[in-house]
Amino acid sequence: MICLEGLTKRFKQVTAVDNVSLMVAPGEIYGFLGPNGAGKTTTIKMLAGIIRPTSGSIFIDGLDLLKHPIEVKARVGFIPDRPFLYEKLTGSEFMSFMANLYGFNGAGREKRIQKFLELFELEDWAKDLVGSYSHGMKQRLIMSAALLHEPRVFIVDEPLVGLDPKGARLIKRIFTRLKRSGLTVFMSTHTLEVAEELCDRIGIIQKGELLAEGTVTELKELAGQEDPRLESIFLHLTGAETESTEDIGFINQKNSSIP
Amino acid sequence: MKVLTLLVPRWWGFRNDLYFGGRRSLIKAGSLLAVAVGFWVGIYVIFYRVLRYFQAVEEFGDLLAYKLLTMVYLTFFGLLIFSNVLVALNTFFLSQDLEIIHATPVSIGEIFAARFLDTLIESSWMVLLFGIPIFTAYGLVYQASLVYYLGLVSVMVPYLILAAALGTTITMILVQVFPAQRTRDILFLLSLLVIILLFFLFRFTRPERLVDPDAFASVITYFRALSAPASPYLPSSWASEAIWPLLKPSPISSGFYQGFLWVNGLASLVVCAFVAMWVYPEGWSKSQESGRLLAGRFLGLVSKQLRSRKPRCSQTLTLMGKDLKFFFRDNTQWSQLLLILALIVLYLYNYSVLPLDSVKVPTFYLQNLIAFLNVGLAGFVLASIGVRFVFTAVSGEGFSFWIMQSAPVSMRRLLWSKFLLYLAPLLLLGLILTIATNELLQVGALMRWLAPITIFSMVFGITALGVGMGAVFPNFRAENITQVATGFGGLLYMILAMGFIALVVILEAGPVYILFMAQARHHSLSFFQWLYVGGSILLLVLVNIAAVWLPMRYGIRKLAAYEG
Repeated sequence: MICLEGLTKRFKQVTAVDNVSLMVAPGEIYGFLGPNGAGKTTTIKMLAGIIRPTSGSIFIDGLDLLKHPIEVKARVGFIPDRPFLYEKLTGSEFMSFMANLYGFNGAGREKRIQKFLELFELEDWAKDLVGSYSHGMKQRLIMSAALLHEPRVFIVDEPLVGLDPKGARLIKRIFTRLKRSGLTVFMSTHTLEVAEELCDRIGIIQKGELLAEGTVTELKELAGQEDPRLESIFLHLTGAETESTEDIGFINQKNSSIP
Repeated sequence: MKVLTLLVPRWWGFRNDLYFGGRRSLIKAGSLLAVAVGFWVGIYVIFYRVLRYFQAVEEFGDLLAYKLLTMVYLTFFGLLIFSNVLVALNTFFLSQDLEIIHATPVSIGEIFAARFLDTLIESSWMVLLFGIPIFTAYGLVYQASLVYYLGLVSVMVPYLILAAALGTTITMILVQVFPAQRTRDILFLLSLLVIILLFFLFRFTRPERLVDPDAFASVITYFRALSAPASPYLPSSWASEAIWPLLKPSPISSGFYQGFLWVNGLASLVVCAFVAMWVYPEGWSKSQESGRLLAGRFLGLVSKQLRSRKPRCSQTLTLMGKDLKFFFRDNTQWSQLLLILALIVLYLYNYSVLPLDSVKVPTFYLQNLIAFLNVGLAGFVLASIGVRFVFTAVSGEGFSFWIMQSAPVSMRRLLWSKFLLYLAPLLLLGLILTIATNELLQVGALMRWLAPITIFSMVFGITALGVGMGAVFPNFRAENITQVATGFGGLLYMILAMGFIALVVILEAGPVYILFMAQARHHSLSFFQWLYVGGSILLLVLVNIAAVWLPMRYGIRKLAAYEG
């Protein structure tokens, strides 16, 4: 369903994404993991058609994103990491706006908008301006708008940021349900428990390069770790295992005693 | 020390803008500096000539110059108070960095001191900058000594402090009554209405009569009535009284008024600090609670209409509907329509009072010449409105631009939807300006058709230039959309729009003259004249098409490649 071939993105001297190739099968939830600045968001922005790769290709649902951007985008639901929305539209207006933008004018459209607003517990705020929403509410509104047009691929950057435990549980349930209905999900996350719980396969990226990919079991074998938790596999593969425990003793020391 | 630390981000930000912005940033700064110098020179020349003219008027010359000085100080004081109230609202209550600052171990007193300095500088620099050529003109015309220039510094410092302290105190009190967001909206509307009122007052006094010798006797009577001293309670009067004696060949001491200004300036600062210590913590806390926006309450009807629109429609209509809702729900946007309305009234009023009969040129010829030049002037008015609304249309997408980038919408459709949205009102405005002016001037049949047709075709280019250039120079991170219009891209748009308008007027001038003269003399055109007229029309059509096609094409390409 998603196929990246030799995907590379350079910003002047910096190579943010370096020759990344991967495939995601239909109905699969693919987790994209990596430390800060590894190239996750850049990859996701290229997948969403927001920025163009320096080289390489992106195929979604068999279509080349660079050659058929409009057709591909119509099949994709995208959620960025920061929920910047039109603050002067109301929640329901934003949903109608997005439905029109994605050409979703099928029967039962209004009912579907209403259903989504109820599902994400936004129905009481539907007539209020988005500018008055909290961070979590905006995140839920984007989520419902991204699902509205029945996308075949769902691309999500940090899906659980800013959500309370109830909201986070709802998202997990939705993802599991979407997977069952055949929707492909490509998501980046820092929350390793979520990746472990939801993702069929995981790709680990560091300094723009895809270090490893596979199921949690495959990654465990690859890392040769005793500890079965994804966190230790991730820290081992990214080489951050030792750094985190080093040189933090000074935190509790007074200024004068820091060497 | 912490006060200085709090001020540091502003200066570092300014420095980093220049340092990291590279050559483009330097070009931008250079262009803005050039424009500022242009204004500076313009103001200096106007004041120098006016003051020289006043000096030539016996008996009343000095009185006129003095009155002008008090008017300058009074105008500056009004501007400073308004500006300080608005800036203080931002620096003390709405600025994005306040949340971090209030979370740091910095006392309210230190925050007040830093923010007051910020307010003082941000509100005063423009007045100070544009005051310099005025005061220099006074100094040079009256051949003032060094004492005058030193006195100026000594007067301006407490004068600016006084205005900043007053403005900040007003803001502190206002925020106790209204939420910060609403206060900003109300103040914005109020300031707009005051500007409109001042416009009307100034224009309806018909200052052009000053150069009319017949009206001079009544003007002298007017100034005689004004020769009574201005209100002694106004700081602007104290400043004028402190400066005026220093302009004399042997400067008389103005120590009393200077001392008065300093005492009041410092006292107002103490009062302001006292009020701030008392009410600022609570005011800041209140400003955090009021998240909701006014959402166009003033235009409730429009909002209702927009809400009741049929929800299902094409992408283009959806995009246009969204922009329309934004416009009418943003109080800082729709309220500017009032300003445009005032501009139209004044524009037409100016034409209605033109003293055509007193000029020794055939009235018929002059009427048509003015009507023709009016096309260029109307074009300039449309470009000025275009830079504020059309050029900023793309940047208006703001941080939400990712929605357009990730949605199945081409940049072509996005830009053409904006083009269509702004084309209609600009067309209407252009036609009103030309048709109504033609009626007031009672022009001939040729001009009656030519002016509206020309402006009609030019509006397409002016709009496309605005949308296209706005896409070439987008600024999705601007906190305030007016900053986008006054930036480098906006300046370039104005230059290109003016060039386009000038080109159209120049291309049209020749054929219009030929046709007009032939009509006036009842001659028919020769073959070569027809060829010239036809060629010019063809060239005009091509220029107009290019003005639409080129910027739109370039804008679409640049926006599609945008990766900011």
